[in-house]
Amino acid sequence: MKKKIIWIIDDDAIYQTIIHKLILKSDVFSAYSSFLNGKEAINTLNNILENNDYLPDIILLDINMPIMDGWEFMEEIKMIKSKISKQIIIYIVSSSIALEDRNKSKTYKDIYGYIPKPVSVNDLITIVSNE
Amino acid sequence: MRNEKNRISFINWFANRPRVSGFLLFITITIATIFISLLSNHILREEERNEMKIILEDANKNIEESLKNCYSTNVSLALTLNNDGVPQNFNVVSKQLIKSNPIISAVQLVPDGVIKYIYPMKGNEAAMNLNILDSKYLQEEAEKSIETQKMYFAGPLKLKQGGTGIVGRLPIYNKNKFWGFSAVIIKLETLIKTSGINSIDQSKYYFQFSKKNPITSKEQFFLPSKTDLSKSYYVYSPIPDSDWILYLIAKNPPVIYPLVLLGVILGIIIAILFGILTTKLLKKPEELRLLLKDQETKLLKNELRFKTIFDQATIGFAIIDACNGDLVEANNKYCDMLGYTYDEIKAKGIVNLTHPDDLDDTLLNIKKLNEGQITEYFSEKRCITKSGKIIWINLTVSPLWENNERPTTHIAFIKDITERKEAEKLIKKSQARFKSLIDTIDGIVWEYDLETMSSTFISKKIEDILGYSVDEYSGSPSFWEDHIHPEDREFALALSAKENKNYINHDYEYRMIKKNGKVIWIRDIMNFVFENGKPLISRGIMIDITTMKEVEKDLNNSLQLVTEQNKRLLNFSYIVSHNLRSHTSNIESIIYLIESAESEEERNEMMHLLKSVSNSLDETMKHLNEVVNINTNISLVTKPLDLSQYVNKARDILSEQIQLNEASFITNIPDNTTINYNSAYLESILYNLISNAIRYRHPQRKPIVTIKSHKENDKDVIEISDNGIGIDLAKNSDKIFGMYKTFSNNSDARGIGLFITKNQIDAMGGIITVDSTINVGSTFKIYIK
Repeated sequence: MKKKIIWIIDDDAIYQTIIHKLILKSDVFSAYSSFLNGKEAINTLNNILENNDYLPDIILLDINMPIMDGWEFMEEIKMIKSKISKQIIIYIVSSSIALEDRNKSKTYKDIYGYIPKPVSVNDLITIVSNE
Repeated sequence: MRNEKNRISFINWFANRPRVSGFLLFITITIATIFISLLSNHILREEERNEMKIILEDANKNIEESLKNCYSTNVSLALTLNNDGVPQNFNVVSKQLIKSNPIISAVQLVPDGVIKYIYPMKGNEAAMNLNILDSKYLQEEAEKSIETQKMYFAGPLKLKQGGTGIVGRLPIYNKNKFWGFSAVIIKLETLIKTSGINSIDQSKYYFQFSKKNPITSKEQFFLPSKTDLSKSYYVYSPIPDSDWILYLIAKNPPVIYPLVLLGVILGIIIAILFGILTTKLLKKPEELRLLLKDQETKLLKNELRFKTIFDQATIGFAIIDACNGDLVEANNKYCDMLGYTYDEIKAKGIVNLTHPDDLDDTLLNIKKLNEGQITEYFSEKRCITKSGKIIWINLTVSPLWENNERPTTHIAFIKDITERKEAEKLIKKSQARFKSLIDTIDGIVWEYDLETMSSTFISKKIEDILGYSVDEYSGSPSFWEDHIHPEDREFALALSAKENKNYINHDYEYRMIKKNGKVIWIRDIMNFVFENGKPLISRGIMIDITTMKEVEKDLNNSLQLVTEQNKRLLNFSYIVSHNLRSHTSNIESIIYLIESAESEEERNEMMHLLKSVSNSLDETMKHLNEVVNINTNISLVTKPLDLSQYVNKARDILSEQIQLNEASFITNIPDNTTINYNSAYLESILYNLISNAIRYRHPQRKPIVTIKSHKENDKDVIEISDNGIGIDLAKNSDKIFGMYKTFSNNSDARGIGLFITKNQIDAMGGIITVDSTINVGSTFKIYIK
């Protein structure tokens, strides 16, 4: 099985460190990139639109971020989606257990699921195998 | 007298029967006409008869004369005889005789009945020797002359010698012994010629000549005639010395003469005319009489009707003497109303009938009426009935005399209005009750006439609610508008005008200003009253809802407070759930990584990470604690604080950053501006806002912070502006004051300053607003309660 490229978009530096460790442990991803807000991720996406080798297979997206939060990111990606040559699976990963966030995530058809923090290695493996 | 009466009744009989009278007159005149006509006809006939008689007489005389001449001829002839009975010179004498008497055609001497001598002989030969006494045909007549010893004319007969003639025979006695006859023969036509018969008017009359047949005794006619004598009109006369009768017959015997007929016709026409004329003439008075009778009947009917009306009317009528007020006449109703009989009431007079309290008024009115000051009068007054009861009447009095005449009588109409008066009393009573009821209603009841656009009623409650009296209200047509609170006036008038156009019941609230200047809240409930689908009036009640409004306001404030609190609480719970969980989840993950660490190095790394999570958690806990403190600190100590002093204090604390960023300040705070605030909060608010203004500076320019203070609606406002990067409010206005909301990648941004600031301002009962433009700057305004 070909290993996947995963992007982590989250402003929590500690979380970024942790998830990096977990990704390495899971050993199902070939590449890993981290972004502190949606804006950074969108900018990068725009740069590599047709480059399948760099485009992510999976994005784990936080909701609350400065500059561009998760929802704004979803709006942005809607607009460039047609230009993206790869199908990207997006999961919301949030420490919020508020029902409204969970419900809101369901209104985006590009969001595959909602994973409450903490994320485990098993979660990562499941995400990949679910694909 | 009796005759006169009879005469009149006789005339009347005819006068009453115009047709019969006309007919009778016609008959009478006709009869008279016929009678006169008959009479005149008769006279005319007599005249004619006389005329005929004269003619006849003439003829008769002529004949008689001729015949008499014949006698003398015969005598002369006889004288020719000598004593022996032999004629001497017969021919000579005869010739002489015929010559003197030309009617005679021949003379004869007939001794013993035998014709022996004839002159002239010529033409008469056949008669010679004829024995006339022997001839049956002649015998009787011959014998008749012998018998009478007179001359007798026989014939007319057919003569032996030819033709028709008459023979006048004179018996001749010689020595008293019958000798024979002397005879003359006269031709009938000669005789007639002599008589002058032929000379008469042939168109009118004709003659007839008759003789009784000696043998048959039948009358024999000799002249040719077609007429039946019995049917003809004629006169006759016998010719002497013969049995002849001479007739004069009218050719066309007129029964009625044309003139008479004309007279009859004229008479009848006149009779008809007179009949018709009389009928017409007699009918005229009859018609007039009928007309009169008709009029009379009508008049009678009218009188009866008026009498009936007078007696049966439901209104009382009375005729009053103008001078003393006595009742001259009164109808049943009038009597009934007052309980008197007709005779009783007549003795009363209006003075006695009128209630003493109303008497002066009545007398004054009558006086005015009599003096011509008024032409009639109406009044409502009281009367006293026979039983002493007081009744109310409606009275109308009109004079029954012309304006320039002396007052004679008045006619009065009265109507019992006691019931109405009582009803009125009741109505007044109930009106008063309703009024007092309305006045007890805890609201100003009002009524407005939509047609006249004027107020028609306002209840007394206006004094309690607005402090103005009813009169003050009524005195000003624009009272209502004038006393509406200026801020509500436009709205209230517009609404009222709108609903007054659509006629929709509505209620609305507005403020009014009381007489004492106090503002009160009014709820005005307005209804339209329709009649036949047309709105006539609007009615309403103005209720004082000031207390209610205050309560409502308090309630609204509380609600707002509660809502705000709730929102903060929700936000807080979210913060707790999110911020704490983000730490706990990190801890959880780190623990997993420590447990699964493959090297000591890795484990140490994780332990290090755990420590920083622990610090973060601690910080978050502190923040939360701070927030909880702000929100739970109910009894915050506030005191007047010098604003400038606190601004300077904040600048001192931030002096390092100010220097570092080369920030400059523009402060515009009026001297001695003091605000009532909690000291720590003011310090914190100013610190957070100024530090943000510097922290989010625009990278291409030096930060300028402007701090201003002024009053808005009596409230202190602190305004802090910067020329920094600004915030996209379109995106972030809802989260700008949220916890851990950061809008830049500035590593210093913790997303707590504005959150704390907002909580502090809220806790002080104030408001914070933000106005910002990206790349231009932001302005925060703090409204201090």
